[in-house]
Amino acid sequence: MSDFLRTYLVVAIFGGLGVMLVGVFVMLGAALRPNHPTAERRLTYESGVDATGDMWSQSNIRYYVFALLFVMFDVEAVFIFPWATRLEAYGTFGLVEMAIFIFILVLGLAYAWRKGVLRWI
Amino acid sequence: MLDLLAQLPQATFDRPPIDWHALAPELVLLGFGVLVTLVDIVFLERGRAMVSALAGVGLLATVVPLLTLWNEVDTASPRVLFDGAYVVDRYSLVMKIVFVLVGYVVILLSTNYIAEGDYWESEYYGLLLSSIMGMVVMASARDLISIFVALELLSIPAYLLAAWRKRDPRGNEAGIKYYLMGVFASAVMLYGMSLLYGVTGSTLLTDIAVAVADAPQFDAAIALGIVFVVVGFAFKISAVPFHHWAPDTYEGAPTPVAGFLAVASKAAGFVALMNLVFVAFPDRHDVYQPLIWVMAVLSMTVGNLLALRQTNMVRLLAYSGVAQTGFMLAPLTVAGDPGVSDLALSTTVNYLAIYAAMNLGAFAVVIALARKTGSAEIDDLKGAFQYAPGLTVAMTVFLFSLAGIPPIGGWFAKFNVFRSLAGAETTWAYILAVIVAVNSVIALYYYASVARKMWADEAPDGNLAPVHVPPSLVAALAITVAVTLVFGFFPGTVGDFTDVSLLASP
Repeated sequence: MSDFLRTYLVVAIFGGLGVMLVGVFVMLGAALRPNHPTAERRLTYESGVDATGDMWSQSNIRYYVFALLFVMFDVEAVFIFPWATRLEAYGTFGLVEMAIFIFILVLGLAYAWRKGVLRWI
Repeated sequence: MLDLLAQLPQATFDRPPIDWHALAPELVLLGFGVLVTLVDIVFLERGRAMVSALAGVGLLATVVPLLTLWNEVDTASPRVLFDGAYVVDRYSLVMKIVFVLVGYVVILLSTNYIAEGDYWESEYYGLLLSSIMGMVVMASARDLISIFVALELLSIPAYLLAAWRKRDPRGNEAGIKYYLMGVFASAVMLYGMSLLYGVTGSTLLTDIAVAVADAPQFDAAIALGIVFVVVGFAFKISAVPFHHWAPDTYEGAPTPVAGFLAVASKAAGFVALMNLVFVAFPDRHDVYQPLIWVMAVLSMTVGNLLALRQTNMVRLLAYSGVAQTGFMLAPLTVAGDPGVSDLALSTTVNYLAIYAAMNLGAFAVVIALARKTGSAEIDDLKGAFQYAPGLTVAMTVFLFSLAGIPPIGGWFAKFNVFRSLAGAETTWAYILAVIVAVNSVIALYYYASVARKMWADEAPDGNLAPVHVPPSLVAALAITVAVTLVFGFFPGTVGDFTDVSLLASP
C-alpha cells in the first residue's frame, strides 16, 4: 500500500474508532441496565423533591450577566496573584504592564455600569 | 508552597525586548478599540454618531505604521518578536493591509445599515475592531498558541456580530449556528495542536517543521495532528464538507457582517492555513496535499452546483464563496513542490486580495439595492438597470470578476491558479486544473444569469424610483470597483505586492 493511503488509513481508523466507541458504549448501556419503567421512575429527579413545572424552565438572564462579570474579576485575580509575588523583580515595567491590563478590564466593568447592567431591579 | 514562593524572588527578571515599531499596527488598533468603548461609556446615546467615523479613522490610522514597516521589512530582514512566536515579514504585512482595508470598507457598508436599523451601534464597531485586530495578529502568528489566541480574538466578536439582528429568528439562527460550528472547529483544531505539541515538544511553528519532517516513529500521530489542524481551519474558510454554516449564517446576519465573514474571516482562516502549511509542515506535503486537494475539488464542485439553485442573492454569494474557497485552496495543493512553492503562496495571497475587493463590492451592491427593495431575493434585483444603472454596472463588474472574465480582477487571480498548477507538472495538479476550468464555466452561468436579470428584465412592480445611495456606500463601491478594475487591467500592481518569497524563511 502506498504511503499516502497508509497515512490516511490512520486517520480513517482513528475516526472510525471514535464513532464506534460512542456507539458501543451507548448500546452497552442499553443492553446491561435493567429496564422496568414505572410512572415514578419516569419523573425528573430533583433532589428528592417532586418536580414541578415542565422542562422548559427559564432562568433570569441577569444571573448570566453577573456570572460574566465575576469571570472578569476571576481572570484578573489569576493574573494578579503571581504578578504580585514577583512585583519587586518586575519593577516599573511590570507595574505599567499590569496597569494597562487592569485598565482594559475596568473598561469592561465601566461599560457594564454605564449600560445599567449592575442594577438589580 | 511557601518554600517555592520563597525561591522565586531570587531569580532575576530580564525585561523582554519589545519591538514597538513592529507592534505599532496592533497597538493603534487596540487604542482605537478602547477609544470607541470609552466614547460609548462617556457619551452613551450621544456618542452614536461618532463611533462609526472613529472606527474608520482608527483603521486608516493603522495603515500608517503598516506602510512604514513595509519599507523597513523585507525578505532578508523580517522582524522577529517573542522568540519567533510573532514574525512581521512582507507576507504578513500584505495580509494585514488587506484585513485593515477590508475592515474599513465593511465600516463604510455598515454606517447607514446599522444606524438606520434597530441595532446597538457603539458595540458593533468595538467588536468589529477587535475582530480585525485578531486577524492582524493572525497574519504574524507563527506559534500554535498565538495562532489560537488570534483565532479566538477574531472569532468571538464575529459570533456576536452574526447574531446582531437579535429580534429576527434568522439572526439568532445565524449566530447560534456560526457559534456552534466555530467552537466545534476550535475543539478539533486544538486536539490536532495537542497531538503536534505532544510529538514535537514545541509550539513554535519552525520547531514543529524540523520535528515533523523526520519522525517515522510518530508518523500516525503527526498525520492525525496535521489533518485535524487543517480541518479546524477548513471550517473557518467554509470549505466543503465543512461549509454548512455559511449560507444560513450569511443570510441571517446583517448583510455588512455577512460580507465581513465572507471576506475577512475567510482570509484569516487562509492566512492561518498558509502559516501552517508553509512554515510548520513544509516537509509533510505528503500528508496535507491530498487532503487539501480533495477539499478544493469538493468546495468548487459542490459550491457551484448548489449556487445554481439559489434564489437569494446572499445565499448565492455564500455558495459562490464556498466555490471560491476551492479555487483559493487549489494552489496550496502544490505548495510542497519546491519549484512552485513560492508561486503557490503568492497566488493564494493574490487571490485573497482580489477576492476581498470583488466580493465586498458585490455585497455593497446588494446592500444598496436592498435599501429600495427591502430584500436580497434575486428576483427583486430584476430590472435594476432601469432605476439604478450605476449599481447595475458595478454589480456586473463584480460578478464577471468573480467569474474570472478578463480583463477584470478575478481573471488574474484564476490565471495564477492555473499557472501554479501547471508549474507543478504532476498528474494530480493537471487534473485539478481541468476541474478548476470546468467549474469556472459553471460559475459563469449563475453569475451571468444574475447580471442578465438585472440588465434585461423588467422591474417586478414597475417601481422605477431611483435608489438613494448614501455617501459611505458610494465610497465603498468606488473603492471596490477601482481595486477590482486596477487589479485586472494592471495585474502588476497587485503582483508587485504579493510577489514571490514574501514569507521570511526561518
